[in-house]
Amino acid sequence: MHKKRCVVGHFEVCSCVTAFANFSPRSCLAATLIFSFLLSLLDLRSPNDLVIPANYSARSRSRSRSHFVVGVAKTPSKLMLMEASTSPATFVDKIVVPGDVVLDLSTFTNETIKLGGGLRQDPDAISVMKAGKLKFSKPNKYWVESSQRRYVPCMEETVLGIVVDCKADNFLVDIKGPAIAFLPVLAFEGGTRRNIPKFEVGALVYVRVVKANPGMNPELSCTDAYGKAAEFGLLKDGYMFETSTGLSRIFLVSHYATMNVIEPCSSRLLSSPTCPVLEELGKQLSFEIAVGLNGRVWVNADSPSTVVVVSNAIMNSEPLSGVQQKIMVEKLLQRIK
Amino acid sequence: MEVDRTDGRTPNQLRPLACSRRILHRAHGSASWSQGDTKVLVAVYGPKAGTKKNENPEKACIEVVWKPKTGQIGKPEREFEMILKRTLQSICVLTVNPNTTTSVIVQVVHDDGALLPCAINAACAALVDAGIPMKHLAVAIFCCLAESGYVILDPTKLEEQKMKAFVYLVFPNSILSVLPEVSSTMKGEPMEHGIITSVTHGAMSENDYFLCLERGRAASAKLSDFLRRSLQSKVPGDSSKAG
Repeated sequence: MHKKRCVVGHFEVCSCVTAFANFSPRSCLAATLIFSFLLSLLDLRSPNDLVIPANYSARSRSRSRSHFVVGVAKTPSKLMLMEASTSPATFVDKIVVPGDVVLDLSTFTNETIKLGGGLRQDPDAISVMKAGKLKFSKPNKYWVESSQRRYVPCMEETVLGIVVDCKADNFLVDIKGPAIAFLPVLAFEGGTRRNIPKFEVGALVYVRVVKANPGMNPELSCTDAYGKAAEFGLLKDGYMFETSTGLSRIFLVSHYATMNVIEPCSSRLLSSPTCPVLEELGKQLSFEIAVGLNGRVWVNADSPSTVVVVSNAIMNSEPLSGVQQKIMVEKLLQRIK
Repeated sequence: MEVDRTDGRTPNQLRPLACSRRILHRAHGSASWSQGDTKVLVAVYGPKAGTKKNENPEKACIEVVWKPKTGQIGKPEREFEMILKRTLQSICVLTVNPNTTTSVIVQVVHDDGALLPCAINAACAALVDAGIPMKHLAVAIFCCLAESGYVILDPTKLEEQKMKAFVYLVFPNSILSVLPEVSSTMKGEPMEHGIITSVTHGAMSENDYFLCLERGRAASAKLSDFLRRSLQSKVPGDSSKAG
């Protein structure tokens, strides 16, 4: 007997359920519930498989971050929805490749699901566009986490850009994305037509993405949401290198983290929990660091050797776990002494 | 019909596969794929702003450059570029980044038979490494037909030269799905049985062609598994091998 799809969703009961598929949804549900209860009595399934969710909410409409695309299930139904034991749980936290179908939209009725990067909506299902780990955050956000060399611009992310050109109204800034970004000439604290900053071509700026719509050039700003400068702007001296976006996300754990001045024996990092590499380095060396979510990292210190040590430590830390990173940094620092 | 291949393989057996990703430091995505002695290295740059003149600006554009191991670029290279471009265009989602160009540069490291399928597999792995959005992956197979009517897969260059006709086949990869089997099919056939590209050389009868298709599909499942395993490794610099 093959499994038939019914409106209620997918259950891991045997295919006897198909006999009920011709009945109305309510009786089908009742029958399935009774059936799975009976199965649990017979110890054929563990009690956890009983499909009664603890925290089902009919409509969750929290404010979304703008880079999530909201997908709504198309098939309305009056039934209370049961969280299927197969669908999202099987692929969450697993590595998926393009083409895998990870969510069946017919099991989510009258719910808002938020899709992040790497997922796209077919008429009936959500499938994967980029290879990576599928992540889920309650109540309803799904995204694929992957680490690339190029950057996909999103709102409210801090990046390091390189000025490519100056126009009358905007600076053209390259942020390693598909399109070149615009930094309005007035987007600075106290910016007026009379005191426009002069950036040369090739200057490194620490900016915040204000608008990131697909197909359009992203817009940047050198102020925070309240209009204050807050460490944004030109970065002078120092050394900039490029890594992958995954590594820079590990460093910037809170997305409002700004530039961190790290002094020995007292890490005054503004974001916590911190990355083990930066913590270990900060215990012995004093340096300034700015991390952009587009994979660019800027380091500045008094002596060039400190800059070299910090850059090498960060570049080598990508494939290592937390403990391994600490060990690597300790060895590096010992070799200098 | 039993056939003796010089390296002792059965007619349906593929050569050892090896794939490594993120090997080039400056490219945005890179992969090298080898089947036996045939090895191809692919680098992907992009997406970058702007499209070429005759391309549709509402879609992303893919540009392929094929670099042979020796010699000048001529008509065979242009044909490979065109086949590769059409195949990649059908597997990438072109509407995500409109008005951009993605460049795919293919460098032949060594050619020992089945060059174009090896390049297609490598290009697919490199596009995944670069994070270009795709509908599904592609796996490519080379089937050839001998005079006496038997079909062999993945020949070496010597075997290839003795064949009457051959066909390159590109299939979509096998996908994992939460949907039940019935709904991921179209008109009663599973998705994996679709064909993305089929290029034939030489003359073959219809039955022979369908026989090649069957053999190719069976082998594409193995290739698909290998591709999935090589994409599972968390550290991108890892290489995976299959005997």
